[in-house]
Amino acid sequence: MTTTAQPLTRPRGESAPPGGRRSLRRTTEARWGLLMIAPLGLGLAVFYLWPMLQTFYFGFTAWGPFGDSTWTGLDNYLRLLADEKVWAALRNSLAYTGLVLLGVPLALVFAVLLDQRKLRGRGLFRTLYFLPVVTMPSAVALLWQYLYNGDFGLVNQALATVGVAGPSWASDPGTAMFALAAVGVWMGFGYNLVILMAGLQTVPRQLYEAAAIDGAGTVRQFVSVTVPMISPTVFFVSVITIINGLQMFDLVYLMMPPGSPALPATQTVVHLFYQKSFVQNDPGYGAAIAVLLFAVIGLLTVLQFRLQRRWVHRG
Amino acid sequence: MASRRSALVVSYAVLALGAVLVVGPFVWELLTSFKTYPDSVRVPPSLLPATWDASGYTRVFELVPLGRQFVNTALMAAGRTVAQLVICSLAAFAFARLEFPGRRFFFGLFLVVLMVPAQLFVIPQFLIVQRLGWLNSMAALIVPGMFSAFGTFMLRQFFAGLPRELDEAAEIDGCGPLRRYWRVLLPLSRPGLLALAVLTLLWSWNDLLWPLIVTTDPESTTLSAGLATLSGQHNVEYPTVMAGALLATAPVIVIFAILQKQIIEGIATTGSKG
Amino acid sequence: MAGRLSCLIAGALVTALAGCGGSGSSDSAGPVEITYGIWDVDQQPALEQVAAAFTKANPGIKIKIQTTGWDDYWAKLKAAATGGVAPDVFWMNGSNIKLYASNGMLLPLTDKRDLSVYPKALVDLYTYEGTTYGLPKDFDTIGLWYNKKLFDAAGVKYPDASWTWADVQSAAKKLTKADGSVYGIAAALNNQAGFYNTIAQAGGYVLSPDGTKSGYDQPATIEGIRFWTDLVKNGVSPTQQQMTDTEPTVMFESGKVAMYYGGSWYAGRFNKNPSTKDTVDVAPLPAGKTKAVVTHGVANVVSAKSAHQEAATKFVDFLGGKEAADIVGKAGSVIPAYSGTQQAWIDAAPQFKLKIFIDQLDVSFPWPGSKNTPAWMDEEMPVLAKAWTGEVTPEQAAATLAATMNSALGAER
Repeated sequence: MTTTAQPLTRPRGESAPPGGRRSLRRTTEARWGLLMIAPLGLGLAVFYLWPMLQTFYFGFTAWGPFGDSTWTGLDNYLRLLADEKVWAALRNSLAYTGLVLLGVPLALVFAVLLDQRKLRGRGLFRTLYFLPVVTMPSAVALLWQYLYNGDFGLVNQALATVGVAGPSWASDPGTAMFALAAVGVWMGFGYNLVILMAGLQTVPRQLYEAAAIDGAGTVRQFVSVTVPMISPTVFFVSVITIINGLQMFDLVYLMMPPGSPALPATQTVVHLFYQKSFVQNDPGYGAAIAVLLFAVIGLLTVLQFRLQRRWVHRG
Repeated sequence: MASRRSALVVSYAVLALGAVLVVGPFVWELLTSFKTYPDSVRVPPSLLPATWDASGYTRVFELVPLGRQFVNTALMAAGRTVAQLVICSLAAFAFARLEFPGRRFFFGLFLVVLMVPAQLFVIPQFLIVQRLGWLNSMAALIVPGMFSAFGTFMLRQFFAGLPRELDEAAEIDGCGPLRRYWRVLLPLSRPGLLALAVLTLLWSWNDLLWPLIVTTDPESTTLSAGLATLSGQHNVEYPTVMAGALLATAPVIVIFAILQKQIIEGIATTGSKG
Repeated sequence: MAGRLSCLIAGALVTALAGCGGSGSSDSAGPVEITYGIWDVDQQPALEQVAAAFTKANPGIKIKIQTTGWDDYWAKLKAAATGGVAPDVFWMNGSNIKLYASNGMLLPLTDKRDLSVYPKALVDLYTYEGTTYGLPKDFDTIGLWYNKKLFDAAGVKYPDASWTWADVQSAAKKLTKADGSVYGIAAALNNQAGFYNTIAQAGGYVLSPDGTKSGYDQPATIEGIRFWTDLVKNGVSPTQQQMTDTEPTVMFESGKVAMYYGGSWYAGRFNKNPSTKDTVDVAPLPAGKTKAVVTHGVANVVSAKSAHQEAATKFVDFLGGKEAADIVGKAGSVIPAYSGTQQAWIDAAPQFKLKIFIDQLDVSFPWPGSKNTPAWMDEEMPVLAKAWTGEVTPEQAAATLAATMNSALGAER
C-alpha cells in the first residue's frame, strides 16, 4: 500500500515526567493499551487468525458428509495439481483480472477530463459514475443478465439497429468472459475514478504552470507532469483492482447457472472454491484451493511491488 | 482559445457518453420494472411501458420474503458498523498513542489478517458458526463482521495524523488514556469514523458469500442472498426481478444521495494517502 | 449525544440478537412451531392449505413452511443438518436418502403404519436397512409436452404412444421455421426430464446397478446423449446459449418451441397459464431401443435433531394421509402417492392426457443415487454443456464425465 506508515515507536517528548511517576504511568498505559486492543484481538484471533491456521490444516484432510475429517497428507494438493478445472479457473481469474485492469487507464482519462478547471458539473458526473459502486452486486448481476439476453436483451436490440446480430453475450463461451469483465469495469469504474481524482488534486498547479511556460502543450503536460505525479495513486488502484479481480465470485455465481455453456469459460477460483467447499461437501479440497489462491495473490502482489520501482514516481 | 473551447466540448461529449453508459442500465431497470412480462421481452423493445404495471413490485414479495430480508440486512449492517466503530477505534487509539508490551507484534499480526484473502477464513468460520448453533441467526451474520483489521488500520492512520500536542496537553492535565481517547481524539476523528462507518455499511449491505453460507432459511437471510434466489428461479419474469433488484438497492442509493460528499471523500481517503 | 445514540443502537442490537438467536429454546408448554422445508414454490399454496388443516386438527401445533430453490436446497440442508438447525420436517429425495439415513440425520418412523397405501417402489426407496425413514408424498414421471397449435400449423400428427426417436426427429424438422421464430423441440440440458430417460431408452445407464461405477463410458449411454446433441446440431432446437438465457420451459410456454420433455409437475403450471391452458397436451415418452422413463418420488422425513419430534411425527403422518393427498391432488401440480387419490390430480386438468404419467410407471426406473450424489451429479451439467454447444463430441464429454464420476464414487468408500 502506498499509505505512508507513521513510525510506530513514539518519540518521547521532553516533557515526560521523571522517575517513579513515569514508570507508574507507563504501567497504567500498558494496561490500558492491552485492554483497549483486547476486544479486537480476541475477535480477530477467534474468527480470523485461528481459522487461517485451520484452513492450512484442513488442506491436508478429507471430510465425511456430516463433518468428520481424516488426515490425508498431500492428497488434496496432488489432486489439485492434476485437476484441469483448477487450472482453468486460475486462467479465468487471471483473464478476468487482466480485463478489468483495462478499466484503470479508462478511469484515469475520465479523471483527467474531470480535473479541468473550466469544467462545470464535476460533482454531478462524479456522483453518476459512482452509482454502480454502491449498488449491490446481486442486483447488478440480475440487471446485466437481462441486458445481455441474446434474444431480447437491450445490448443486442441496440446492435440490431445497426444491423448486427449479437450473440448470447453472457451464455456464449466465446464472449462470456468479456461480458463479465465489462460488468466488472462498470462496477469498479466510479471507485477508481474517485481515488484518481483525489490523487490528481494533490498535483501542485505550479508544475503545470512551469511546464506551460516551457511551451508544453496539453498532451505533453499530461505525459511529463500528470503521469509521474499520479503514478503512486495509479499503482494503488491497480493493486486493489488486481486483489479484488482475483477474488471475483458474485457475478459468476449469479450470472452463470449450472448448465451455462459459458461456466467453464468463466468459473473463477473463488467460485470453484465455493462449489467444492459448500456445495460438493469437499471442504478439505476447498481449503487447498484457498491456499493456492492465497499463494497466487501473494506472488502477484510481491511482483507488483518489485515492478513499481520501475514506473512509480516517488516525489 | 478556440482549441481550448473545442477541447472542453469534446470533454463534455465524452463525459456525457460515459454517464449514459453508467446510468442507462439503471433507467432501463426502472422502466422494465413497470412493464408487463410480454412487454419486457418485446423485439424491438419499447422504451416506455405500454401500460404502466406495478404488479412486479407486489409479486416479488410473494416470491421472496423481501421485507424480512430487508430488516435482516439493516440489522446486520448496523450491528457490524456500530461494533466496528467501537472495537476498531479503541484498538486504533492504543496502537497510535499508547505504549504497551507486544505492540509491534500485535499490530503485525493484525496486518496479516488484512493482507490475506477472505477465502482463507471462510470454511473454519462457517464451522465455528455451525458448531455454536448460530446458523440462520443474526449472530452469525453480525459477529464475525464486528472485528476488522482494515478498520483498525484505517483509524490508526487517522489518529496518527492528528497533532500529538492535543492529547499531550490533556495528559498533563491528568487525563488517563480512556479520557484522551473519548474526549480528545474521538471528537476530532469524525471524518475518519464516518468514512469507516460508510464503508462497513456498504460492504455489509452488499455482501453475498457469507450470508449465502450461514443462512439456510429464506426468512433469515439478507437481501443480497435473497436476490440470488430470484435468478435461480428461472420462471420469474423480468419486471419482477428488476423490481426486486431496485428495492434491494434503493436504501443504499438513498443514503448515498444524502451523504454522497462524505462517502466519496471517505473512499478517496482510503486510497490517496500516498 | 453520539455516545447515547450508539448505546441505544447497541442495546437494540443485543435485544435483536437475543430474539433471533439460536433455535435451541424449546418450551414444552404453549404452542409448538414446526418448520417444514420444501423446494418447490409452485406447491407452496397447496401445502399451506394442508398445514392449515393440520393446525385445525391439532390446535397446539403451528407449521412454518421454508422454501429454498432446488439449486440450493441440498447444500443448505446439509449445512443446516450438520449445524443442528435442519427444519423439523423436510422433503427428501431418492438420491439423498442413503446419505441422511446412514448418518443418523433422520428419525426412524418405527410406529406401526399402513404402508400399503403407497406404491411399493417408493416405500422401499425410503427404507434403509429395514427401517422406514420417510412417508412417500408424491411421485412423478416425464412426458412429451407439445403445442397443438404449432403442430396443426405445420400439419404434423400429434405424438402418441407409438412414437419413437425417429418420429421426434422428423417432426422436429417439420415444425422448425427457417426464420428462427419456432423450433421443433427444446433439447434442454436436464438430467431428470432429459438425458437420463434417453440413456435408459438406448439401453444404457448412468450408475451401475451395484452403485459403484459410472455408466458414462458405455456406448449405449453415449447414444442417449447424442439424441439431444444431434437435435441442437441439426438446428431443430434452440442453442444451449439461448436456453441458458431463457429457460426452455418459458420458450415452450410462449410458443417458441413445439415439443418439450417435461415432468408431470408442469401440469399445474401449464393449466394455470392462459397461453398454455388450451393449446398444449402431453404424450408418453417416445421409445428408443426400449421404452423407459425416470420416476422419482419425494418423501417427508423428520429430522433426528428436531426439538419437537412428537409433533413433527404427527405432522408427517398427516402429510402422508388421505386428507393431505386429496388437497395436494386437487391443486394439480404433483401426483399424490397415497393410493386412490391420483384421480383428483388427473381431474384437476382434464384437458391434458395426464393419465399417461401414471401409466408410464410400468416402464419406469428410479432416479440414480449413491452415498454422495452431488459430488458427481454436479459435474454433469458443465461437462455436458460442452457437448450441447458442439465444442466437444458426446464421446469426449462422456469420457470426461465417466472419469470424474468414477473418482467421486471411489472417494465415497
